[in-house]
Formats: sequence, C-alpha cells, structure tokens
Amino acid sequence: MDATTTNRIMERKPKNIFTQGAIDPAFIAESIAKHSTKTDIGGHSIFLGQVRADVIDDKKVAAIEYTAYEELALEKMHIIREEIFSKYELTCMHVHHSLGKVAAGEICLFVFTSSAHRRAAIDACNEVVERIKTELPVWGKELFEDETHQWKVNR
Amino acid sequence: MITVLFFGKLAEIAGAKAELQAVASTDELLEQLRLQYPALAAEKYIVAVDKKTITGNTSLTDHCTVALLPPFSGG
Repeated sequence: MDATTTNRIMERKPKNIFTQGAIDPAFIAESIAKHSTKTDIGGHSIFLGQVRADVIDDKKVAAIEYTAYEELALEKMHIIREEIFSKYELTCMHVHHSLGKVAAGEICLFVFTSSAHRRAAIDACNEVVERIKTELPVWGKELFEDETHQWKVNR
Repeated sequence: MITVLFFGKLAEIAGAKAELQAVASTDELLEQLRLQYPALAAEKYIVAVDKKTITGNTSLTDHCTVALLPPFSGG
C-alpha cells in the first residue's frame, strides 16, 4: 500500500469532530501549515462558520450554545465522510464543530478539504457544509445579551 | 426499561433524560410522553430508536434508547 492510500484510510477512521468552545484561529493556521508536507495537494478549500450577532426584536445575540447527540452525530459524520471520499478525489478532509458556548464573532465550524486539483476540494467542501447543517443532530441555542434565548433555525 | 433522550428545545420541556417502564412501541411511548409533558404536542421532532431514525410506529424492547430530535441547527 502506498503512502497516499494509507493516509486516506487513516483519514477515514471515525473521528471526534467536536471541540469544546470556539475554534481558535491559531489552530486553523496550524492545520493549514501541517499540509505543507503533502506535496500531492494542489488546492485547499476551507469553510469557516462564525457566530453572527443577529438582532431580533431589539435583542442582540451574544453567543450560541451548541449541544449534540454526540454518538449519533459522530456515526453520521463518519458516513458523510465515507460518501464524500468515494464521490470526490480528495487527499484529505478535516471537520471541527464547536460544542458549548461560542461568542458572536468566534468560529464554530471549520471544514477543510484538500485535493490535487481545486474542483474536488471546492465541491466536497460545499457539500460537507450543507450536509453537516441538515444531517447532524446538533442544536444551537442563541443567547441574547439580556440572558434570554431562542433556538436557532437553519436556513 | 426504556431510556428516552430529549435534545434542544425538547430538553427544556422534558429534561435531558427519562426512564419509562413497560412500553411496547414508540406510539405508546409518545402517547405517554405527551400526557406527561403537554408542551411536547406543539413541537416538531423526529424519533430515533437505538440511533436509527424511524418513520412509523416501531416496537420497543427492554434497554432500548429512544431519542426525540427537534430540527437540527448545527454549524
């Protein structure tokens, strides 16, 4: 088995995608830097979800608190990962989603795909983000500055 | 014993977890839960039995875990 195949199988093992709190931009930078040794990559695609300070009835969202049915979410994410790898010619793919409280302006989702040529990375990244939003049992509670809350609805 | 897990807004209504004795099916279980927590009737959710989402009435055995999942809003 060559190194590329081994790497891809390593990528396909079930992984924990959840991080407590916000995703640190320094972690994202580090994650990009780690790929400099993978010289078969020609393009990366990155999606970063950021908590937006929506204003609803004069109340501003201060943070989102995420909860998940973790076991089911990780199983589902594993299936999504398998399907994405069989559909697109990817070198690798990384997904990180926050749990707990993430303040407005902070990063709550990090999806990172890489491929030899740009198209696979871009299309796979888009599809993974859409599938995370519709298929993973994760819930966001929007916490307002006055400590009331409402449950987030994905559009 | 059947373990019931509630998520998102539903956990505010019913708490995160409940344990029910002697329920034979998901219809029976949901009926009991609606009696116990009337506010559930107004909520949208899908049901998973042992981490598999179901579409119709499903029979339950002892030690099943039933989860009530409101619309997802991750990301």
